Amino acid sequence: MPQHEHMERHRKLHGRRFDAEERERKREARLSHKRSEFAQKVHGLRAKLYNQKRFKEKATMRKTIAMHNERSNKHANDEAVADGAVPAYLLDREGVSRAKVLSNTVKQKRKEKAGKWEVPIPKVKPVADDEMFKVMRTGSKKNKAWKRVVTKCTFVGDNFTRKAPKYERFIRPTGLRMKRANVTHPELKTSFQLDILGVKKNPSSSLYTNLGVLTKGTIIEVNVSDLGLVTTSGKVAWGKMAQVTNNPELDGCVNAVLLV
Amino acid sequence: MPVYNFKTMAPVPSASDLVDIVLTRTQRKTPTVVHPGYKITRIRNFYMRKIKFTQQTISERLTAMLSDFPRLSDIHPFYSDLCNTLYDRDHYKLALGQINTARQLVDAVARDMIRMVKYGDSLYRCKCLKRAALGRMCTILKRQRASLSYLEEVRKHMSRLPALDPNTRTLLLCGLPNVGKSSFMNKITRANVDVQPYAFTTKSLFVGHTDYRYLRWQVIDTPGILDHPLEQRNTIEMQAITALAHLTCSVLYFMDVSEQCGFSIEQQCNLFRSISPLFANKQLVVVINKIDAQPYDTLESDKRDMIERLVKEGGPNTTMLQMSNVSEVGVSSVKNHACDKLLASRVDSRVSMKKTDSVMNRLQVFYPTARDGVVREAYVPESVLRERERAAAEGGEGKKTRKSRIGYAPTKDDDDDDDEGDETPAESGDEMMVGNGGGGAGDGGRRKKTARELMWENGGPGVWAPDYREQYDLLDPEWRFDAIPQILDGKNIADYFDPDIEEKLRMLEEEEDRLQAEYEAADMERTDGHDTRLDEMETAQVAEIRERVKIARAYKDRSGGRNRPALPREIRGRIKDCHDDDAKLKADAIERRLARVGVDASSMLERGRKREREGPREKRRQSRNARGDAEMEDASSGDYDEDGGVSMKVEGDERSKSKGAIKRQRKERVESARREQSMARSHSRPREPSQIGLKDESMAKVARMVEKKGQRKWFGGSGEGDHTKSVHLVKWCNTGKKRNGTHYSR
Repeated sequence: MPQHEHMERHRKLHGRRFDAEERERKREARLSHKRSEFAQKVHGLRAKLYNQKRFKEKATMRKTIAMHNERSNKHANDEAVADGAVPAYLLDREGVSRAKVLSNTVKQKRKEKAGKWEVPIPKVKPVADDEMFKVMRTGSKKNKAWKRVVTKCTFVGDNFTRKAPKYERFIRPTGLRMKRANVTHPELKTSFQLDILGVKKNPSSSLYTNLGVLTKGTIIEVNVSDLGLVTTSGKVAWGKMAQVTNNPELDGCVNAVLLV
Repeated sequence: MPVYNFKTMAPVPSASDLVDIVLTRTQRKTPTVVHPGYKITRIRNFYMRKIKFTQQTISERLTAMLSDFPRLSDIHPFYSDLCNTLYDRDHYKLALGQINTARQLVDAVARDMIRMVKYGDSLYRCKCLKRAALGRMCTILKRQRASLSYLEEVRKHMSRLPALDPNTRTLLLCGLPNVGKSSFMNKITRANVDVQPYAFTTKSLFVGHTDYRYLRWQVIDTPGILDHPLEQRNTIEMQAITALAHLTCSVLYFMDVSEQCGFSIEQQCNLFRSISPLFANKQLVVVINKIDAQPYDTLESDKRDMIERLVKEGGPNTTMLQMSNVSEVGVSSVKNHACDKLLASRVDSRVSMKKTDSVMNRLQVFYPTARDGVVREAYVPESVLRERERAAAEGGEGKKTRKSRIGYAPTKDDDDDDDEGDETPAESGDEMMVGNGGGGAGDGGRRKKTARELMWENGGPGVWAPDYREQYDLLDPEWRFDAIPQILDGKNIADYFDPDIEEKLRMLEEEEDRLQAEYEAADMERTDGHDTRLDEMETAQVAEIRERVKIARAYKDRSGGRNRPALPREIRGRIKDCHDDDAKLKADAIERRLARVGVDASSMLERGRKREREGPREKRRQSRNARGDAEMEDASSGDYDEDGGVSMKVEGDERSKSKGAIKRQRKERVESARREQSMARSHSRPREPSQIGLKDESMAKVARMVEKKGQRKWFGGSGEGDHTKSVHLVKWCNTGKKRNGTHYSR
């Protein structure tokens, strides 16, 4: 009656075969050959996936090895005291590692280089009207063609009410209306799903801005009250600008970067 | 009542496996070909179907998982507590909850994305949306990696839990480590639990089964419990506690009086006290174990007092028994006692329950009052009584049973009791009756022994077998054991076993004669009508023909034979009949040969000759067609003779011609008419004048001329109605984009 650990039990009762260890060792030794054979044979998508997997494995392996290796790089070292006599004005200096300094200066430079009013996506492909709008034929004979349907995702405010059909030139389909955006905070390197407050600027056209069309590069205002960001004057900021970084109509969601 | 068997749960795939499963399934089960030229609704449907299918697959898999794993609130409290101990209830619930949430999220994603696809205006956009949708669903699955691997571990462990039924009759063994619980388990069941001389050999619950009073009893071996507060107990101990807390059972508390387990009797008593709340409402047996090492009687009195006080504290349901697994003293008595106690308590509880009332109310027991003072005893026949008396008198002597003389195993003292064989069978035969008649009389000592018992008394199977000759029914019972010879007076006695065998033989012979006569009479009648029998010469001929045919066939079948077609007989006849010197067979040779196999070749040769004369191939074919319905011709000749009168006249003239010529002519005419008609049926061609209503050939001629004249105008140039296709590459068929649609559609 096998209960619980039946493998162990079997081994305890009957032992293992005499060459079990040898077989295991051989299997282990053969593994690299097998892998190599497979890697050479495989092609297409499977090859891509396989190589990705192997790359990851190798990277982790390298990292672990590096971790266990003796460290050779220099670090901030508070205890390090310069040898010999030191003048008074140098006494409170800490021994700072060179690597750290270097990285800090590089970062500082990079920050300075970045312009103040620069947005993450400075140039976007303009969207033509015929791509943006689909003509909707109306009239009982379908011979009138003055209505347009927006084919891209849009933001429509909560209090929007459609006009009467006679005056409604642009239709924004409900299926393509977006309410929330996945906003990445570039410094915190984290993403939040935030409510969209409005479309500030669509770079392609002011008409699109008015319609609230969300395309790549559009500046939107998002509700950041949950993040608890504080303005320079000390008030809690609740609306902040963000730039759309993807094509929402292709991805089914709005991704944006917070402009800070 | 559900049976707690968790072995049926399906394996839980890991997150990456699940993603693979889902995506490959989508790829396999949904259409894979779509073109940008398709109608947009078709493209949208193509991609919506993919999204929907993926979502359904995921949700199916996750739902199966959720329904497979038992809900801890639904199962027996013992199992739910055990699961809590082993897997941590919170963790378990959280994992299942996350799976459930993931399912809902996947559903929501699919819903949103399908809504977006509905507004897709190009294949590219639909495809991007599909890609995004599948990606998001797979990401949700990937996030479940931890839960899925945890659930898989739980499933593996659960499937290996012993099949423990919480509601059946159960003996539960508990006590400190190393006091001999597992040894006792091995003694009374076949569970084969590992027994080792160190603590916590048993790390989980083990289940064995034993029989008592024709009932199956479940025995549960628990890991040892140490005496410390509940919070400090580890998982191993908690399993024992769980079992103690939730199972209605008979608890056997093991105590090691020899103190070999490393715990003093005082410590063991303390443990008993600390877990005594768990013994409430249970049948408790305190088992004093290892009395081989330290007999209970020689135990120091203060320790004995301690134990006895303990038993008293246990309450009325507590008893104490002594036992040793090594010397096996008291093992079965402990088991029987525990079982009896539990059985009694179970019966009690049944009776005390309301359920039994409905049955009890319907039961009534009557004690009939005596009608008069007459004593009415059971009637025992006189002979039986006599037999009993005799048997009682002989009883003291010790009956000697006969050895079998038949059967498969002769023994060495087989023939020494031959002489006394005559009386014992008779006696045993009578005894059988006694046994049958007075079986219930209560005289157990005088019960007749069965053949099986006798067999075991006399050495078991193979040594002794009953002698069936005792039961022979002969004229004189003394004959029963006589040896039966095979040959007597030079005759096989088996031939004379039947007294009226002569009579039967005679009857059989008579019947056979009668049947023979009948058959012959019937045969005569049958052959009287027409005699199919051949005389000797014909028989010989037939035989010869058959022989030749056989040879010919063998030649034909022979491998390595001629590698050319065997000519059909008609053609063969024709060709060979020509005046060709090279021909192997001349006409007469053919005739001779065919005559030898019994075929008249004259008509065949005639046919061949005729062919030769007719010459051209076409004619030959015509004549063959005509020959096909040579018989029909006479019957339906009227149909083909358009103008009967004329034909009659012609026929009259033809009499002067040679007979063969006439025949040929007529045949040709008929043939041409038939051919005409068949052609008319097979193609669309202008019919003959007779058939379009023209009077005769002359009129037809005129009509033809008129037709030609009419056509002359546009003869040479192609007309409007001409269905010609002179240009090989038609422009409108061959220009433009080839990808969109097919040739046919444009």
